[in-house]
Amino acid sequence: MVDFAVSDEQEELRRSVRRFLADKSPSSEVRRLMATDEGYDPAVWTQMAEQLGLPGLAIPEELGGSGYTYVELAVVFEEAGAALLCSPLFATVGLAANALLSSDDDAAMKEYLPQIAAGELTATLAFTEDSGDWSAADTSTTATPAGDGWTLDGHKSFVVDGATAGLILVIANAPDGLSLFAVDRDAAGVERAALPTMDQTRKQARLTFAGTPARLIGTAGAGAGILARTSSLGCAALAAEATGGAQRCMDMAVDYAKARIQFGRPIGSFQAIKHKCSDMLVEVESARSAAYFAASEAADNSPDLATAASLAKAYCTDAFFHTAAENIQVHGGIGFTWEHDAHLYFKRAKSSQLMLGDPASHREFIAQQIGI
Amino acid sequence: MNIVVCVKQVPDTWAEKKLSDSDKTVDREGVEGVMNELDEYAVEEALRIKEASGGEVTVLTMGPEKAVETIRKALSMGADQAVHLVDSGLHGSDALTTSYALAKALETIPHDLVILGVESTDARMSVIPAMLAERTGAAQLTFARKVEVGDGTVKIERQTDTGYDVVEAATPAIVSVVEKINEPRYPSFKGIMAAKKKPLTTLTLGDAGIESEKVGLAGSGSSVAEFSARPPKQAGQVVKDEGDGGSKLAEFLASQKLV
Repeated sequence: MVDFAVSDEQEELRRSVRRFLADKSPSSEVRRLMATDEGYDPAVWTQMAEQLGLPGLAIPEELGGSGYTYVELAVVFEEAGAALLCSPLFATVGLAANALLSSDDDAAMKEYLPQIAAGELTATLAFTEDSGDWSAADTSTTATPAGDGWTLDGHKSFVVDGATAGLILVIANAPDGLSLFAVDRDAAGVERAALPTMDQTRKQARLTFAGTPARLIGTAGAGAGILARTSSLGCAALAAEATGGAQRCMDMAVDYAKARIQFGRPIGSFQAIKHKCSDMLVEVESARSAAYFAASEAADNSPDLATAASLAKAYCTDAFFHTAAENIQVHGGIGFTWEHDAHLYFKRAKSSQLMLGDPASHREFIAQQIGI
Repeated sequence: MNIVVCVKQVPDTWAEKKLSDSDKTVDREGVEGVMNELDEYAVEEALRIKEASGGEVTVLTMGPEKAVETIRKALSMGADQAVHLVDSGLHGSDALTTSYALAKALETIPHDLVILGVESTDARMSVIPAMLAERTGAAQLTFARKVEVGDGTVKIERQTDTGYDVVEAATPAIVSVVEKINEPRYPSFKGIMAAKKKPLTTLTLGDAGIESEKVGLAGSGSSVAEFSARPPKQAGQVVKDEGDGGSKLAEFLASQKLV
């Protein structure tokens, strides 16, 4: 039986991270940072790494991390999602660090992971192209052997934090098939163009490579396997993040329903509002169960990780989107204003639904896995 | 330099605080307890001194069993060990008796320096640091916004209404800190896990040599005779603007002697 009750220590971690984010990522900071090109505060990132040890939480100790599991990391992602934290955390830890850990490339892990854990290096994974296909099945970026290394030609789209990441891990077609490559921040022939995003709290970029020198990570042809595992781990992280966001939307709605008086009584006493709030609670609770199920499957290195992660990704981001939409309804007119935070959560929920594959594609994958 | 940090568990800063009907003391059961915010600055300052010049940091708290949560928080920030003075006989102690109990507990811990926050958010008396200095005979360095530790000496900048005073004393000394002094660190998961393995000593009245008739509700010199809830907010006065709204507002402000 899977036991994913949160321990006292994990609860303390949650309190510590929540307090940190309340101090460092209040709504005013989220709004300030989402209007900047970088989209995050490097000082906060450094403190997250040096003091709280968050980027390295699930990176093994011999690679500079703290050596804890994906369940602790899920607690962090849940709180980050609740605060709409603008940060390279998802791209660096949820995608790039997981890709490196999945690559079995000892030299690359020893070089990059300690820097990531220390907060010195941000990173991302570039695997989607203009079609928006998250499976990389239609990859047109090519990798050509050149001397000791490789060169990359082509482009990548919707790259999370692609404009700022210090290390770009790229999925490209080598003669042996899809493979993973590392491109440094200052590599020749890389062009980075920021993409306008509906969810301004998470930046995306389009990257173009022209004869760009790159380093093969893992073995040639291993890219599809690395990507599949990384995508599952990224989905588990997104699911936890969405759970935090959904919880915050519900809290906002319930607080407002208790405080807003209409016709001489709190609007929460009206059935139409009550039903919305109780439906939100059912979704948030189910989402949390799904998210921590996926996180514990990741922690246990379970063969069922892919199914659990798809399940959590589909359910949690749908739950987030629905609670974010209902939160606006419960707030009424004020929920539609720019000044109210409801729309920030709504937009994050939408982008989380689509990122790493929409809920329908994940449900289809689950159906295939269980043979229906 | 060995440092003792006194910390107190208080009801959550933002929660509604209540007194219990039975004995008119603060209700600590019904609300979530947190470490008194100013004490976090005290822990941080102690850790910084330790990191710069060595020594050990011991956390001392007096409070019910639940207060062990606050001890754990201080240990997860990086303190080395803790002493918990816990005894039902201490319940209801006022500031004067608390300072007596803490002074007795301090005798059991070898130290050069005691650091604490200037006040707690529940009682807000701000007298414990001074009382402790008086009872232990240590130098009193209160309202510190900066602390410098020398060889057997401590120099602080004491925050005043108009600026600051520089005050220096030989150890042992009692230092109380204001929130301007630093930014308390946030515990990492590593720190949280390490805190579980750190030594925690529990002291009863007898262990600390505290005379039971001098502490607790009965031993306290002051007591709460009566309390009542704050009256509900009254509806405000509505001024209808019929071209003279401005002067009506000015009249109101003048009647309240605000302009």
